[in-house]
Amino acid sequence: MIELQNVSKRYGETQALKDVSFSVQKGEIIGFVGPNGAGKSTAMKIITTYTAPSAGRVSVGGFDVVDHPLEVRKQIGYLPERVPLYEDMLVAEYLEFIGEARHLNGQFKSRFDWVVDACGLETVLKRKIGVLSKGYRQRTCLAQALIHDPDVLILDEPTSGLDPLQIIGIRNLIKDLAHSKTIILSTHILSEVATIADRILVINQGRLVGNGSFDELVSSLMDRGSVYISAEAGKTAFDKAVKAIPAVEEIVHDSGLKRGVVGAHIYFDPKANILPALNETVRSAGWNVLALQQERLSLEESFIRLTQSMPEAVIDQPVQEEGRAS
Amino acid sequence: MRDIGIIFRREFKAYFYSPIAYVFSIIFIVLNASLYMFHFFFFGNADMRSFFSSLPLVLGLIFIPAISMRLWSEEKKLGTIELLLTLPMKTEHIVLGKYLASFVFYLAALAGTLTIPIMLLILGHPDMGPIFGGYFGAVLLGGFFLAVGIFVSSFFSDQIVSLIITSMTCGFLALIGWQYVPMVVDGWIPGLGEFLYNFVGVTRHFNDIERGVIDLKSLVYFLSFTALFLYLNAKTLERRKA
Repeated sequence: MIELQNVSKRYGETQALKDVSFSVQKGEIIGFVGPNGAGKSTAMKIITTYTAPSAGRVSVGGFDVVDHPLEVRKQIGYLPERVPLYEDMLVAEYLEFIGEARHLNGQFKSRFDWVVDACGLETVLKRKIGVLSKGYRQRTCLAQALIHDPDVLILDEPTSGLDPLQIIGIRNLIKDLAHSKTIILSTHILSEVATIADRILVINQGRLVGNGSFDELVSSLMDRGSVYISAEAGKTAFDKAVKAIPAVEEIVHDSGLKRGVVGAHIYFDPKANILPALNETVRSAGWNVLALQQERLSLEESFIRLTQSMPEAVIDQPVQEEGRAS
Repeated sequence: MRDIGIIFRREFKAYFYSPIAYVFSIIFIVLNASLYMFHFFFFGNADMRSFFSSLPLVLGLIFIPAISMRLWSEEKKLGTIELLLTLPMKTEHIVLGKYLASFVFYLAALAGTLTIPIMLLILGHPDMGPIFGGYFGAVLLGGFFLAVGIFVSSFFSDQIVSLIITSMTCGFLALIGWQYVPMVVDGWIPGLGEFLYNFVGVTRHFNDIERGVIDLKSLVYFLSFTALFLYLNAKTLERRKA
């Protein structure tokens, strides 16, 4: 549905995107993650035809964004980061203008009613946009992006500045839309996309540094796997039995436990799965297991590792320098 | 065509959201009428020469920049330009819709000065030829300055900067067609003043039309420059992308 090939974008001296390629299938929800200024908005502006790439090709639904911008725009609903709205218009008046501009004609009434209901705008229809709260502004702008029932939704930080309840509201709305639409949403809060995105694209300093499901990304970040186990067992016997499992690299014991109880972090080669072997060991030794847990990085830790350690470590290609005349 | 109409309607309504346009229209009408009445009582002539002779400067320096400044600058400041230019519409149509909205607003303000010829018709027997010519010239002149103004406003997100740059540009265009200014410029660089007077000066063409000499050259001058600036406006907005 959306296809980026070796896309670079430069604003004067700054290189906002460097050789970014990815594709999005129809119906997928993509989370675009990266710190502020990483290039998320630039990529979205290119997909929505607001700016053209300096190099590379981008197509949406088979149409090139540079050669056939109108065809691309018809398919897209766009919520820009700044939530731009005409301050002096009434909410209803504004949505009517967008409906006209999107050529909805006869369908307008039903789409208008749907979007007002979905975005919860009934109470503010006759209000001036300039006096709306941040949450209602966000929803008005989202309504604008949805009114023509687009196949593709590009949402640039759709929940920034909202309270938790509003965030849940928007998240649920996005989930409802997910079945029928291709969605790209950007955020710098990983937990936000961890729950709804099928796939996460991590972008940092203009480069794509990660591409995969949340679990894939997180496990790729772990340099070694870790399991915590607590059992009623003797320490020496425990160490001996566990060390016998292949792939186990290190055992770190908790201190201050009761006598006859061990608690230990077992570190192992991340490519191996030691759980079956560990299970077998526990059973044959007849220990009473008190706790067993696979340890993972926290979301915050993952985000920091994704956006800081990956550019050098994972993808370090030379930057494409050639410009594009247009 | 439909897209032009959709943009036109929104833009035209937008003029009435804020008081700036009202204020400038009232100033425009009152200033012109009072300047004229001063002349009228002083000389007692039933014509509008003095009205039209000051028009290029009044329009170029104040009124037109005040109408055109918001056309793109406001969109840039609010960020709405990002949504506007990602609507499924051609950039040329958006430019034309905005331009026509400002043009119609200008025509309405200009119509406000029609009280003067009406008064002249009641009081005396004015020669209507130059008055018709003058209004026709004013329509062309305003249309041209607005095209300059909309083009300038696409470069700045600050309306005041747009106003000042448009005012300077249109003021220059008006002055260089004033008889004495090119002579001064010729004194500095021989030939330049003459050249500017002939090819870019607005006032000369306006005066021709006002005298009733509707010469093809003047018509071509106004219409082609208006079209040129609108074209440049659409092109620069599209180039911004690259």
